[in-house]
Amino acid sequence: MASVFSASIPQEAPGYSFNHLSSGTREHAFNPYTDNGGSTLGISGADFTIFAGDTRSTSGYNINTRYAPKLFKIGGEGPSNENARIVLSVVGFAADGNALKERLDTVVKMYKYQHGKPMTVAACAQRLSHILYSKRFFPYYVHAILGGLDEDGKGALYSYDPVGSYEREQCRAAGSASSLIMPFLDNQVNFKNQYVPGSGVGHALEQRVPEPLPRKDVEQLVKDAFTSATERQIEVGDGLQMMTITKDGIEEVYSPLKKD
Amino acid sequence: MFIARSEYDRGINTFSPEGRLFQVEYSLEAIKLGSTAIGVSTSSGVILGVEKRVTSTLLETSSVEKIVEIDRHIGCAMSGLQADARSMIEHARVECQNHAFHYGESLGTESCTQAICDLALRFGEGAEGEESIMSRPFGVALLIAGFDEDGPSLYHAEPSGTFYRYDAKAIGSGSEGAQAELQNEYHKSLTLPEAEVLVLKTLKQVMEEKLDAKNVQLASVTKDKGFRIYTDDEMADVVGRLPTN
Amino acid sequence: MPGFDFSNHNRNVALHAQGVPLPKATSTGTTIVGCLYDGGVVIAADTRATSGPIVADKNCEKLHYISPQIWCAGAGTAADTEFTTALISSNLELHSLSTGRKPRVVTCMTMLKQHLFRYQGHIGAYLVVAGVDPTGAHLFTVHAHGSTDKLPYVTMGSGSLAAMSVFETQWKPGMTRDEAVKLASDAIQAGIFNDLGSGSNVDVCVITNEKATLMRNYIKPNVREQKERNYRFPRGTTAVLNEKVITKEDLSKYITVHEIRDDDQGQAAEQMDVDS
Repeated sequence: MASVFSASIPQEAPGYSFNHLSSGTREHAFNPYTDNGGSTLGISGADFTIFAGDTRSTSGYNINTRYAPKLFKIGGEGPSNENARIVLSVVGFAADGNALKERLDTVVKMYKYQHGKPMTVAACAQRLSHILYSKRFFPYYVHAILGGLDEDGKGALYSYDPVGSYEREQCRAAGSASSLIMPFLDNQVNFKNQYVPGSGVGHALEQRVPEPLPRKDVEQLVKDAFTSATERQIEVGDGLQMMTITKDGIEEVYSPLKKD
Repeated sequence: MFIARSEYDRGINTFSPEGRLFQVEYSLEAIKLGSTAIGVSTSSGVILGVEKRVTSTLLETSSVEKIVEIDRHIGCAMSGLQADARSMIEHARVECQNHAFHYGESLGTESCTQAICDLALRFGEGAEGEESIMSRPFGVALLIAGFDEDGPSLYHAEPSGTFYRYDAKAIGSGSEGAQAELQNEYHKSLTLPEAEVLVLKTLKQVMEEKLDAKNVQLASVTKDKGFRIYTDDEMADVVGRLPTN
Repeated sequence: MPGFDFSNHNRNVALHAQGVPLPKATSTGTTIVGCLYDGGVVIAADTRATSGPIVADKNCEKLHYISPQIWCAGAGTAADTEFTTALISSNLELHSLSTGRKPRVVTCMTMLKQHLFRYQGHIGAYLVVAGVDPTGAHLFTVHAHGSTDKLPYVTMGSGSLAAMSVFETQWKPGMTRDEAVKLASDAIQAGIFNDLGSGSNVDVCVITNEKATLMRNYIKPNVREQKERNYRFPRGTTAVLNEKVITKEDLSKYITVHEIRDDDQGQAAEQMDVDS
C-alpha cells in the first residue's frame, strides 16, 4: 500500500495549522490541514472484527478534548446508528475524518433505500475507495480502516491511504503510534519473526504458522498495544474506545487510559 | 369529450380535469402498435422472445435487434419506438457499469429497472430552470430479464415510469391474446426448455406472419451463462421442438 | 575555558542545504517551576523527556545540582541543560574555593546568563535557578538568549502556562514549606496532565537555610498498569544462525554477575525503565 500519508506527516513536532518559515521572505499561508494525533487499529478474527482507537484529540502540545471518538458505526438506523454492521475508523485530521464518516454513512443508508438490502463490507470498501480518490488533489487527510463481517461471516478488514488505495488485511494500525503498534501486531497476530522451537537449525527453522486468534486474546492484545503506545507516544492517551463486530451486532466498550 | 381532450393533450405535464395525462396515455398506445415481445420466468432462468416483423424479403433479419444486453446478467426485450429504447438501454448500461465500478458488485435487476423508469419520468419541463432533456414521453415498453443474488426475475417497464414484476408477460400488438395464453399455460414448475417452447408457441398464435427460425428471436438469462441471444442453430432447434398443429 | 568545536559547521551547513535534516536533539518539552516561601525556596519538575512526539525517557531528572544549596531546574535541549549546569557548577565550586565563601545564587545566575548570551541562544537551555545563600533565599529564571527574571514564583517550559495558572490562582505571600511544596507539585501536575510535552512523575527540591532536600519522584501519579498478557517467548522462538558460548565464569572477569531468580524476571524488566 502506498504510504503517502506517513511521508507527508511532519515528524519533528506535532502538527501546526500554520507554516513556520525560519528565514527569507515571510509567507502567511493558510494551511487547511491539522494533525489531531491519536491512533487506531483493527484486527479481524474468524467470526469477528475488532476496532480500537484512543479518544484524545490534540493540536500541537495541547489537548483539545479527552473524549473525541475515532470509531464510527456506518449505515445504521437513527441517531445512535442501531443495527449497523460496518465500522469505520479514521485518524489524522479529525474534521476530514468526520466529513468522510458522514459521507460514507449517507451513501450506505441511500444504498439500503435504493437497493432494498444492506450493503456488504466489500461493496462499502470499494465505495470508500472511490470517495477518497474523488478528492485526489485535495485529499481527506486521514488514514481510514473499514471493517465488519464478509458474506461468509468471517471478519473483514480494509485499510486505506488518504487517496483511496486499499487492501484487505488481517490487522492494521494507523495514526501517530502506528509505527509502534504495527510491528507488535505483525509479531503477535501474524507471528512474524517467530519460529517453531526445535523445528530445525539455522535457515531450516519453520516459521510459526498464523491462525485466527480467539476474541479474548485479541482484546488483550489491543489493550496492551494501547497502554504501551500511551507510554511512549505523547499524542496517545486519555481513553480507549473499542468496537467488536460479530453476527449479533456491534459491541462498544470504553476504558480509561493514562491522562499524562 | 373530444374538445376537452384537444385542450389538454398538448402540454405533457398538464393534467386534464379528469386527472389524466394524455401524452402519457398516448405513449402507451404507441406500444400497442409495436411488435409482440414475451418474457417467461422460471426457477432456473428467464426466457425473452420477440417477433421480428420481416416486412420485406430484402431485409437482413439479423439487423433487427429487439433483444439487447444491458449487463452480463441483465437483458431486455422491447416493443414500440425502437429508437427511444436505445437511450433507455444506454442509460441502463451506464447505471450497471457505474454500480460495478463504485461497489465492486453487479447491479440488482430491480435496481436496474428502477434506474430505467427514473429516466422514463424525465419528460416535460425541468423544475426551477433545469434544462429539459426530453420533449415527450418514451414510446417504448421494455421487458427486463435478470439473474441476481435473489435469483431470476422479469420486469415490465412502461413509459409512465411505473414497473411491475411478472412471472410471464407479453407486450406489443399481440399482447392481449398472448397474455391470455400465458395465463393459461404458465405454471411455477416450468423448465427452461419448456419456457422456450411456451414463448414461441404463444408468439406463433399472435403473429400475422408464419413463424420460422428467422422471424423470431429468443434470449435467456441464467445463473451460469448470464444473458445470451440464441444463435441461428439454437433457434432452429427450438422451432423444431414446437408442437405441429 | 574549553569551548565548542565548530570544525564541522561548514560541512553541516552544506549538507543541510542539500536537504539533509539536522540531527534531532532530545528536548525536555517540560514543566518546571519554582516558588519562594518563608524560610526557603522550592523548585519542582516533571520527568518526561521527548524526541518529537515520542517519549524518550519516562523518568528523567530535570533538577540539577549546582552547589550544596543551589539547584537548577532545566527545560529545553536536554544536553544543553545538563552540560551548562555541570559547567557552571564546576566553575562556581572553583569560585567558592578561591574566595573561601559559600556561592551566591546571583553569582550562579550571572555566570549562566553570560555563558548563554555568548552563544546567542544556540545553547537551548531554559533554567530555573534557586538557592539559599548568606544573603537569603533567591529564585531566578534564565532564558537561552541570556535574559533573566527574579520573581517570587516562576514557571518555564512547554507546560509553563498550565503551571502558571495554578500559581496565579493559588499563590499567596508568606507560605509555609508544606504549602509551597504542595503548590509547586500541583503546578507540575497541571503541566503533566495538560501539556503533552510533560508527563510521568513530580520531582521536588526544597532548599532551606540548613540544607537542600531532593525529593525524587515525590508524586507518582502515572504508574503503568499491569499488562494483560505475558510476552515471554518459548526458548528457541528466535532464529539462531550461529552460536558462541561464553560462560558465566568468563564473563565475571569483566563485570559483576548477579543471579536473578526466574520469577523475578518480569519485575526486573519493569525496573529497568526507572533510573532511580
